[in-house]
Amino acid sequence: MRFSEVELGDDLPETHPDISMDKVRLFVKAAYMDFPRFTDHEFAKSEGLPGAIVPGVMSQGFLAAMIHQWAPGAKIRKLDTVFRTTMVVDTSATCRGAVTDLDEDNRLVEVDLTMLNHEGVTSVIGTATVELAD
Amino acid sequence: MILDLHTHSVRSDDGRAKVDNYCQWIRKKELPLDGFVLTEHRQYDDTSDYRDLEDQYGLLILKASEVETDYGHVLVFGVNEELTHAFDFARVDNHIGDVLAAARRCGAVAAPCHPGRPNVGLFAHFERKGPIDGVDLVEIYNGGSRPGEDEMSEAEADRFGYRGFGGSDSHIVSRIGYAATEFDDPIRSIDDLVSALQAGRCRARTFR
Amino acid sequence: MVDIDSLRRDWVGKEFHRAEYTIKEQQVLDYAASCGDTDPRYSDPSNPDFEAHPTFIGCLGNTRDAMTPKDFPDLGRGRSIDGGKSVEILAPIRPGDRLSARSEIADIYAKTGRSGTMLFIVHRLNFFNQNDEPVATVDLRQIKAVEG
Repeated sequence: MRFSEVELGDDLPETHPDISMDKVRLFVKAAYMDFPRFTDHEFAKSEGLPGAIVPGVMSQGFLAAMIHQWAPGAKIRKLDTVFRTTMVVDTSATCRGAVTDLDEDNRLVEVDLTMLNHEGVTSVIGTATVELAD
Repeated sequence: MILDLHTHSVRSDDGRAKVDNYCQWIRKKELPLDGFVLTEHRQYDDTSDYRDLEDQYGLLILKASEVETDYGHVLVFGVNEELTHAFDFARVDNHIGDVLAAARRCGAVAAPCHPGRPNVGLFAHFERKGPIDGVDLVEIYNGGSRPGEDEMSEAEADRFGYRGFGGSDSHIVSRIGYAATEFDDPIRSIDDLVSALQAGRCRARTFR
Repeated sequence: MVDIDSLRRDWVGKEFHRAEYTIKEQQVLDYAASCGDTDPRYSDPSNPDFEAHPTFIGCLGNTRDAMTPKDFPDLGRGRSIDGGKSVEILAPIRPGDRLSARSEIADIYAKTGRSGTMLFIVHRLNFFNQNDEPVATVDLRQIKAVEG
């Protein structure tokens, strides 16, 4: 995806990231976040959560991956996310994005980001500033 | 005339939308909006001037506030200097009676938003503490509602005889216009908006 | 309810901690793989532009020492929740880099939400590489439930 091919209002292709326990375990080890809240459903329930939860920063990683899938080689300059509700491990999720602004001088695009949980509730909103190739 | 009565920009702590991006999005997507109202959290923005954007995009951009009370969040339309001194917009524990009374005294309209939402919605507090006087208008369609919340808002508003309006509660650009309010008469200013809300010459619309 | 004005006055904008991190190649690869990111820039060490995933930096500094000053008041035992993260990448971060993180509290405020009254503490980490060049700024918004 090149800057010249992008239009205001374009939707990014939706993705359905893998939020299985195996992937979350891999993530928490790489991210220094190996806590039972993320990897043990029973422990998480004892803390009042609906089950083991997907780390917020992992959601951010999924949204970045969606951007890279849409525009391989793109450079994310800034990614700002608000975590609104928990997402439970071993359920399903959907990532969406839309182009909301174009900066022609710097080949930057502004992208709205949302992540929905398995019930269709928005669990993450955010924006990214992305540099694209000519 | 259709206005989105509940939007947030980057001036809100959790808002990520630039106002000019809202404008270009509305036009690019050909949304059925003639304008929108910025309702920043716990503050009234008396400094930003959006007249150039209004002219450029042919949209009405008004400013209001979303304040927090012991009965949930409340939108205040028609904020003036007297009202900004009547209670502390930044507090999270304002008494709703004070907010409703101050708005009435200052010629503004105070209307609970997302009333069907747990904890920050009016009707959750009615269940726990009983109903209060002074409410006559609530947001029955909110673009950020979860399944069942707008249905509860609409049913309870009907039961209590409240009039309804709609707003997207957008915090990012692409969510503006999910809900809005249709007016019988042209709205050209915040005074027109306050008059129309007081007179009930409007109805909630949802576009989700 | 805690005195937010006093907290802000005492703590916002003051650097209180520094920590060092060395970026490891396998960790960078596992991170990208777990996020399902197959862009070779983040998943292929033979790629000439190979670097850490842009959100990887948000994982560093999630320790009590890096987030909370030693004398910071006890805000009770209410659960802490991750309210969001902002990551700004200023330069590529590559395996082998030795990063220094400088911590400060950027903001403190209260608001009400579906879960009740919440205190928001915005922790800011400014990251520098071994050449003392800024490489990233991360804001972590920690939510702490408080008594109304």
